[in-house]
Amino acid sequence: MFEKSLWVFHLNSGSCNGCDIEVLNIFAPRQDVERFGIKLVGSPRHADAIAFTGPITRESLPKAVEALKAVPEPKLLLAIGSCACGGGIWYDTYAVIGGVKEFYKILKEEYNIEPPTTIYIPGCPPKPEAIIYGVALARKAVKQKQKKEIYIEELNEDMRREIAEILFSEAKGTRHFLPNIVVKTKEGEESES
Amino acid sequence: MILDILRKNDAEVIRHDERLIITSVPNEKLEEVAKELFSANCYYATGVGVDERGMSQGFAIYHIFNSENEGKYIVIKTFARNLTIPSITPVIEGANWAEREAMDMIGIKFDGHPEPERLILPDDWPEGLHPLRKDFPYNKRPPSIKPKSRVKKKDPNTIEVPVGPYHPALHEPESFELYIKGEEIVEAKYKGFHVHRGMEKLAESRMTINQIPFLAERICGICGFTHSCAYCQAVEDAAKIDVPERALYIRTLLLEIERIHSHLLWFGVVFHLLGFESGFMHTWRIREDFMNLAEILTGNRKTYGMNLIGGVRRAIDESKKRKVMRIVEGSKRDTVEIFDNVMGMRELLNRMENVGVLPKKEARGIGVVGPTARGSGIDTDVRIDHPYAAYGELEFKVPVYKTGDVLSRVLVRYEEVLESFWIIEQVLDQLPQGDIINENYKIPEFAIGLGATEAPRGEDVHFLITERENKVYRWHPRAPTYNNLPALPIMLVGEKLADAPVIIGSIDPCFSCTDHVSIIDAERGKILWKGPLNEGVRTWGG
Repeated sequence: MFEKSLWVFHLNSGSCNGCDIEVLNIFAPRQDVERFGIKLVGSPRHADAIAFTGPITRESLPKAVEALKAVPEPKLLLAIGSCACGGGIWYDTYAVIGGVKEFYKILKEEYNIEPPTTIYIPGCPPKPEAIIYGVALARKAVKQKQKKEIYIEELNEDMRREIAEILFSEAKGTRHFLPNIVVKTKEGEESES
Repeated sequence: MILDILRKNDAEVIRHDERLIITSVPNEKLEEVAKELFSANCYYATGVGVDERGMSQGFAIYHIFNSENEGKYIVIKTFARNLTIPSITPVIEGANWAEREAMDMIGIKFDGHPEPERLILPDDWPEGLHPLRKDFPYNKRPPSIKPKSRVKKKDPNTIEVPVGPYHPALHEPESFELYIKGEEIVEAKYKGFHVHRGMEKLAESRMTINQIPFLAERICGICGFTHSCAYCQAVEDAAKIDVPERALYIRTLLLEIERIHSHLLWFGVVFHLLGFESGFMHTWRIREDFMNLAEILTGNRKTYGMNLIGGVRRAIDESKKRKVMRIVEGSKRDTVEIFDNVMGMRELLNRMENVGVLPKKEARGIGVVGPTARGSGIDTDVRIDHPYAAYGELEFKVPVYKTGDVLSRVLVRYEEVLESFWIIEQVLDQLPQGDIINENYKIPEFAIGLGATEAPRGEDVHFLITERENKVYRWHPRAPTYNNLPALPIMLVGEKLADAPVIIGSIDPCFSCTDHVSIIDAERGKILWKGPLNEGVRTWGG
């Protein structure tokens, strides 16, 4: 999808700075991702991707929506850090929305916007290597290692079909990068994708 | 002398030892006491509103003063009568935000406050809901109300330049409205905090006393360790816990590593704002070593998770010591080399010299802290004034510069970095043997504790009241940027627009620290200074 240079607009949606300095860190000499054509830009209108750091506070919500709207299609959202991924430690306090998943609900209900393709980079803060890996994933430069695992003691034919249906409907209903799915049973492993 | 003032005004002294005085002052005497303390060279640190219905008789406010001369903090408690307390803002400017914070979060009214308007909560928050009252559930998200629309005054001779909340020169969401005539800034407004996450309420409701060090660390991703350290000190102060000496030395080591990494990061940002990109790259290259060092010592590059109540989690062995020494030696050489080059670059120095001047008198009035104060000739440092961790046993200098411009703030931080290298060498040299944690303690009920540390940006104060069942009744951190922000309009007015980013950057603003409690409203968070700088008259409020 993004095989060439990825320009990123970095939006601090209520982060503690930890993720922000790690995002800046990947542009410093040790990692220097500009050599891959990744660049921070000053306006969302110039960006291919928007990077959220922080649990999205009540105050920053309208601004985050505006910024996301301004990014041209096709767009990508990088949720950097545990807070952006799922709200982190503040997931249910009065002052925050609670991560991009809640943000997408609000986007759909109140603004009627389809959520963009999303890459989740958890960690508190994620290491620079993890952030680079996430971006590389978006560019299809690496294969996704993460798997969704389901453990079932005994598996019969009906259940197998049922599970497969649920998983595929999950995959259809979302534009997110779906992890490879492995169903584990007592006898061994069976994989679907 | 402080005790004389307190006794004269019928104050009841609850606790008095070598580092803290806690008193209770009658409602009507508060203004008098505040005035006298302020004239006795005690500057205002912070104010904490507490919903005390669970422990005594209603609502109270705790005003905290710092007496550098006597090396003590003074906590003054006053109960509200019919939810009303006399305001001390007319006497002490610095109390303005703290009182409005209590107004918003607890619902106490302040009699005689010059601008009793909403400060903390977002514009769409319903009236009459106060999140820090004990009957407000921490996870309640009230529906938005339509905020009152504000009428903007427009002056045809000036142009408004909005900076932020998302601006390429700023890496955090904050917003400034600069009004310019030609290229000169004639007015600066500070607007909208965006990082209020409801931390205090979360700590008081969902978490226990020994989980909060990790929450405190997440106040800020840059100076988090100093926050968790201040919190642990507050609990240790309240519960009278003895911390083993080895743990104190390890805390000191990490505090200094954090200071170096924070200052190097800041140098990079300032060089970047001045257009000196190679300076940014070089300082961040040196800083990377300290991130690795932190990973070696604690297991994480940032958010160390090292502090526990009564000590630290990991010890430092001989091989780690050697690694630290090696990195410190190399980095010291690199830092000195870069600064030798920077000091020889006239074009860079010209952009910092006499830019964004903060005179000493103004600085003292606002009560700025940390390198911003030391750049304006105020000799203040918590490490010297109220020694904590192992600083009492170490030897180091506190650099002070008098000019008050951006360059002096750069130089103060540069010399601090060199001092930090020296402190690290001393700590490693003198690191005592023994335990790293004292787990043998009991937390008393409703005990008051206060912890203060010198964060990279200045004085960091944590106030705490304990509760039974391993909980915290009230916890209030005050970050240094809270005190330094009001100085920005003074620095900005009269300067060129192109210098605005570096002036804003020069106080090393940390908005995530400040916003954990506050969201400042557009119209009311402002300080105006109209007209040219030399004959300007500063007027507060609308």
